Order: sequence, then structure tokens, then C-alpha cells
Amino acid sequence: MITNRQFFLLCGGEVLVVAAGSLAAALVIQVIVLAVFLGDRRGYPVFAGGVLIFAAVLHAAGTIALLAVAGALGCGYLALTLYDYQLVRRAAGGGA
Amino acid sequence: MIRPTRASGGIAALAVALTAVALPLANPAAALAAGSLALFLLWRGWRFEQDLSAAAATLTVVREVDRTILRQGAATAVRVRADLDIPAGMEVRVRDLPPAVAVGDAPLSLPGETAAYTVRLMAPGETAFTGVALEASDAFFTRDLVCRRFDAPHLRVFPVGTAEAGGGTKAGSGETEVDRRAPLTGQGTRGFRPYRTGDDPRQMDWKVSARRGALYVRELTGLEGGSPLITVDLPARAGEPEAFARFSMAVYGAIEAAIAARDGCSLLVVAGGEVVRFLPRTESLRECYEALGGLAPIEPRAPLYRVPGPAALAVRAGASGEPAERAYRERLGDLVARFAAESPAPFAAAVRAALGRSGATEVRIYSLLPAGDKSHLVQVIREAKVFGLRVVLKAPAGAGVLPGIDAVEAI
Repeated sequence: MITNRQFFLLCGGEVLVVAAGSLAAALVIQVIVLAVFLGDRRGYPVFAGGVLIFAAVLHAAGTIALLAVAGALGCGYLALTLYDYQLVRRAAGGGA
Repeated sequence: MIRPTRASGGIAALAVALTAVALPLANPAAALAAGSLALFLLWRGWRFEQDLSAAAATLTVVREVDRTILRQGAATAVRVRADLDIPAGMEVRVRDLPPAVAVGDAPLSLPGETAAYTVRLMAPGETAFTGVALEASDAFFTRDLVCRRFDAPHLRVFPVGTAEAGGGTKAGSGETEVDRRAPLTGQGTRGFRPYRTGDDPRQMDWKVSARRGALYVRELTGLEGGSPLITVDLPARAGEPEAFARFSMAVYGAIEAAIAARDGCSLLVVAGGEVVRFLPRTESLRECYEALGGLAPIEPRAPLYRVPGPAALAVRAGASGEPAERAYRERLGDLVARFAAESPAPFAAAVRAALGRSGATEVRIYSLLPAGDKSHLVQVIREAKVFGLRVVLKAPAGAGVLPGIDAVEAI
């Protein structure tokens, strides 16, 4: 479970990210802050790679890249829903 | 679908706040923080689903129930243990899901622990457990997942109030309501027999004696000095569901009553010319239920092709008759004696052995008496007669009778 203290530390880390002078510094700080925030870092490099790609898009397109993130989130949520549906079917014994 | 915890709600709020800062100020660092937090939540949700899927794939459930065959409204104890491999960072608790017609909730338990609870089944029929529910959670998401494939064991519930064969001694008599039995049951009369010197005069039945012109005494239940042998003739097919339900009810009711009232009974389960199971002198309901195996119909594997059996042949050969027939009977007796050793009758021998081990004084045959070969029942009756036992047939009304039966009762 995430404690309040951990969450406040995350908020402090985000303040540091926003206060960073450059995008590269913000990227490094953000990856470190989230890595520290997480207890179990299984698969974290995959996420870090995704953040790196997002930083590259942000660098190329500016803050409008947040719209791309919103679209990615919508697609991701859809994929997650389909995966969840398959999981429920498997659990019910209806096959994959 | 997965549900966010307080932590993921806070992170989402933080991402929205950072977006609100990034867009008007065109701050790329704030945009990076907001976007990466949103991606972080998506990644954690995906990982949670994968972990839950992996845990559910390793789930095994062992469920034990005190009784799988019980009456409507009866309670039964359930013990369930679920084992699964839990990925790091995830917590899983398991809750058993009782049948839909059951009253009673299972407690939450950790994997590897045995949870015990009691359910009361309120509706008759075949029913099964609904499965188990996994309550999984990690730091960011929670999810309840119902695994329905773990529904064993199946339960069979008989309705309350179904007519059960009682203790009558004549055809068509003795039907009682299961739940309306008097709290103080008196000693019933099992039958009558001619008076013998030394019999208690108080047991004299004057009405029967007057009708028959000889002294008769009552034989009371409980004084016959032995438990009954309950013989169940499994049908080849279930046939009419209602008749089969009444048949099942009568069998289970008789076993319960015999064990409760007579300190045990013997159970012989036959299917055609085959002894499926035999349980001598048992006082355990569970053993009897296991021996009955759910009373499922069985296609006979060893038909007897209407063979009357050695006992019937011996009686036929030994009977006196006309002089012309006497020669035939003598030849028949000679043939039976010659071929008795070379052509054994395994079913009759098995029944004879069962009768010998049971020590019963009465054989109660439960059968649907379907059309077709009934020679296996004839052999059971004849072998019982060799032992001098009384034979009561319990069959559906109008199904017919078998030769040698002392009494018929409708089920």
C-alpha cells in the first residue's frame, strides 16, 4: 500500500521535475522519482522506455503532445478492457 | 473491471493538476510530468491485469462437503482450501461461493488456508457451488474475479414433504410425510405369525386369530433381532424424472430410517446381473451414500437373460406334483445337480454371500421395476427365501410384483 508520506514525497518529486531547467533533466528526475516511489520495479524499464519516447515526442511537438498521451490512454484503456474481458471469460471456464 | 485505489486516484489528480499547469504555461517539464504519470497509471493497470491472470491460472481449489446428498433446508459443513502463486506486490484473498440456492456466506481467507463454513440448501434439485472469488489488490488497483470452474462437488437436495416409504407391511400402505413424523413413535407391527408355545399372550392379535381360526401373535418392529438388507436395483435409465426422484427419496429415506432406528443396516446395490456394491452392517450414512454413488442409472453389463437361478430351479425340482411331472422334476433336479458345479451362477453366489454376511432378517428391495428382464431380482428373492428371510418389494404403484414377495409397498 502507498502511504500518505510516500505520496507527498511523489508530489515533492514532481515539483522538482517541473522546476528542472531542461526537458532532459526533467526526464531523468521523473524516472528516478517514480522508481523510488515504486517498491516493486518489475517491468520498470519498459515504462521508462515509454517515458523516453514521450519525452522525444514532447521535444519535437511541444506541449500539444499531451493530446497524443490522451489518445494513447484511451486506446490503452480499451485494450485493458478487452484483456479484462478475456480474463473473466477464462476464469468462468469459457476458454480464452 | 479493475478499480483504482486511493493512491492511483491521487496520482491521477496530480497528473490533471500538472496538465493544468503545463498547457497555459507551455511548460514542457510539467507536460512531461503529467504525461508520464498518466502513462504510469496505464502501465500499472496493464501489469495488474497480467499478474491477476497469472495468479488465476495457477489457482487450485479443494472443497470438501460433509454431505453431498441432503434434504431441503438441511445444513452441511464446507471446508475449502485455495492455492495459487501470487506475484510480488499483489495481495489475494479468496472467498468461496456457495450454491445459488444456499443460505450462508463463506469467510475470506488467505491462499493456502482452509476456510470452514456452513450452508443451508433451500431449494430441491441438483446444484453445485458457484465457484470461488479472488479479491486481488496491489498498491494501485483492485479487482474481484469470480472463477466459476471450481464448482465441485455437486449437491443433491431432496424436497421436504416428499412421500417416503414408511413401515407398513401391506401393499400400498405406510406412506408418511418426512417432516410430519410424530415426535414419539410407538413400536409398530411388522407382521403376524402363528402362536408358538411360550409366546407372550399379550402379543396375541385376537382379530387376526378370529379371522383365520387359529392363534396369531404380532411381530413387533425392533424385535426381529437384525438389521434389514436394503437392496437397491439401479435402473438402466433414469426414465421419468418424478418417479426417479421418488425412488431416490425412498432409498435415502429408508437408509436413514434404518440406521437411525435399528442401529445399522446392510446395503446391496445391484444393476442387472451384477452386484455393484455391498456394504455389510454399517451405521454410517456417509458410507451408504458413497456406496450408492449418487444413485445414477447404470446400463447392466451382465444380463441374466431371464435365468431363474439355482435356488428357483432347486425349488422347482423339489416340488411335488402329478406323477407324470414327477419324472420331469426328477430329471430336472438331476440336471441341476450335475451342472451346478460346472456352470456356476456368479450373481446368485454373490447375493448368497451378501445375505450370509448381512445377518439380516428382512430384505427390502427398492426397484422401479422397468420393463424387461427382472431375473436378477427373482434370484435375489429366491436366495433370500433360502435364508428364510422376509422380502418386501418397494416399487412404484402399478409397476407389478415379483414371485415370492411377502409384501409390496408403493413408493
